Amino acid sequence: MKTPAITPDGIIIPSAGAFLAAVDQRLEEILVTAGIDSSTIADIAISVSELVNNAIVHGNRSDPAKTVTVHVKISEDEVRVTVTDQGKGFAPEAVPSPIADDNLLREVGRGLFIVKNFVDEVNVATLPAGGTRVEIAKRRENRAS
Amino acid sequence: MKLIHREENNVVIIEPKGKIMGGPESIELHDLLHELIDGGKNNVVVDLSKVDWMNSSGLGILISGLTTVRRAGGDLRLAQVTDKIQSLLTITKLITVFKAYDTIEEATKSF
Repeated sequence: MKTPAITPDGIIIPSAGAFLAAVDQRLEEILVTAGIDSSTIADIAISVSELVNNAIVHGNRSDPAKTVTVHVKISEDEVRVTVTDQGKGFAPEAVPSPIADDNLLREVGRGLFIVKNFVDEVNVATLPAGGTRVEIAKRRENRAS
Repeated sequence: MKLIHREENNVVIIEPKGKIMGGPESIELHDLLHELIDGGKNNVVVDLSKVDWMNSSGLGILISGLTTVRRAGGDLRLAQVTDKIQSLLTITKLITVFKAYDTIEEATKSF
């Protein structure tokens, strides 16, 4: 796969940072169409950008032959997004706290921490066939009119 | 993300625009910051008023710039931080690391 593929509920991209903007554009398109308010969209977009970055770099090790799949599911009460890579999995608990005094000036290591603070639910699963799937959920508290 | 910069009273003001999410545009911001620093511009203000949002990649770039200029005796300060980025700085405790100002004028005069 060399270019992103749009799906009915998301997008599939090759493992390259150049496609982050395509993910953001597709996500915004889906969320705006569903009437999600702009602040909630920003929280979800920031979180998904972190997860896709992690999937590309840590999951797929930037192997362009591997893909990252983003799927969005919107219900009356919440938005759920899954980001799935084809890597070998990772241990989220092994990431040191980015808010410890010694780590404050580290340039990396904040991604999942930010996600956990911007959404209401985060589930990380290693898939039996390989790869990691991270699912996030954000409540629709401020419904756009 | 679009990127412009200017200089006032020996302070470089960088104005990124859009979203800073870790793609090629983030590399552009990182490279501009370090190009300016390498050229002896150690007092830098980043005007965040036109940044819709950033993620940890954006924060990493700001930290990289901050630590580099501080080592050279300068500083990197923030101006016109939007609510979303303020929230990000608070959550990550980076609000304790960066000096932030309400206006560009206050930020440039603070040096």
